[in-house]
Amino acid sequence: MSADVSGQAFALTVLTPIADGQADALRGYLERLRDGGSRGPLARLPRTHFGRWVIVPGFVADGEREPDQLTTPQLLFTACFDGKLDSYLTELATELAAEADEIWGRCAGCPRPATGAALKAYLMAHRIKTGFFVAAYGKATVPEVRAALAQREQLIAFAREAQEMDDATRRSEFAARFGS
Amino acid sequence: MTATGTDPHNVDGQAICITVFSAVKGWGKLWLPAVFLVARYRPGATGKLAKLSFIHFARWTLVREIAGKRLRHPQLFFESNFNGGWQEYIDAFSHILTGGMKTFWGSSYGFPEPLPTGPFKRYIQRHELVASHFYSAYPEATTTIVLSALALDGELRALRERTRDVDPVTFAREWDAFLEKVQADL
Repeated sequence: MSADVSGQAFALTVLTPIADGQADALRGYLERLRDGGSRGPLARLPRTHFGRWVIVPGFVADGEREPDQLTTPQLLFTACFDGKLDSYLTELATELAAEADEIWGRCAGCPRPATGAALKAYLMAHRIKTGFFVAAYGKATVPEVRAALAQREQLIAFAREAQEMDDATRRSEFAARFGS
Repeated sequence: MTATGTDPHNVDGQAICITVFSAVKGWGKLWLPAVFLVARYRPGATGKLAKLSFIHFARWTLVREIAGKRLRHPQLFFESNFNGGWQEYIDAFSHILTGGMKTFWGSSYGFPEPLPTGPFKRYIQRHELVASHFYSAYPEATTTIVLSALALDGELRALRERTRDVDPVTFAREWDAFLEKVQADL
C-alpha cells in the first residue's frame, strides 16, 4: 500500500514557490477566507477531512553547517481526504477555481488562470510523497463520519427520552427514528 | 477540552493543526525512510500512537528537494490534526511516545530529548509554522467522539437486526443491554 494512504484516506502534500513579492498578499488572502463566518473553500470539497495552507518563509537553522536558505517563500498545502488523488485534484481544480487562481496564481510557474487540468498538473508536479501517515479512522469517509456523529446525537437524545417511555412507546419510537 | 495554547489560525472548532519542519543530519537520509517503512509494515508499530486518542490524522515526510532544487539538509516535515490543548499534546507525545520521538526526530539538528518536556516544547515552538488557513470537516468533534460515533453505528445496526420483529418487552431487554454495552460511547 502507498505510504500516502491509511485505510481509504489519502495524505496530500504540495509545496509551491511563492512568486516574488506575493507572500504578504497571499497570507492576507488566505487569512480572510474565514471572514464572515465562512467555512472556507475546502468545505466545497466534500471528501476533505482536514486541510491547511501554510506559508513557509524559510527554515530554522539549528546548528547545521551551511543551512539551506529558501530563495523564495513556499506555499504548503496539505489535505487528508477520501479516495484517489487524481479525482480529488480534478475536483479541487474545478470547484475551487476562483480561490485557486488567487492562491496558486501567486506562485511561481503556475499557469494562469490557475484552474482545470493546468492547475492539476502544476500541483502534481510539486507534490511531495508522504513518508508515514496515520489515521485514527482512515476507513471512514467524511459523509460516514458526519452521519455517525449526527446519529450519535440522535441516539443520546433518544436514550434520555426513552427513560420516560413505556415499553410499547419505546419500541415504536425507536423504529420510527432509527428504522427497524 | 477546547483547543488552546496555539495561534487562532491553527484552530478550527475543537481541532488544532501543527506544522513543523526540522533539518535532518546526513545519517537521517537513510534512517528516516527505513523508520517510515518499518512503521508502515510492522504490526503494532502504531499501537502507541493509537493511545494518543486525540490525533485525527498525522504524517511525517522527508523533503529532499524544493522546486527542483536539492536541499543540503533534507527537512523532516511533520503535521498533525488533533484536538485538545497544544501543551497537553506535546506532553502526551513526550511521555507516551518517548522512544518513538527519538526514532522520528533523533536525526534532526538541535533535537533535545523528549523528556523533560520544557526544552522539547521550545524546540517545537521554534520550528512550528502558523497556518494561514486551517479547515476541519467536523470542527466540533474530537477524535474520541468520532471513534465513539463510528463504533455506535455498528452496534446500532446490530441492535436493529436483533430486534427487527421482537415484541416491546423483548426490545426493552435488548435496549437495556445495548445501553450497557455502548455507554462509554454516548
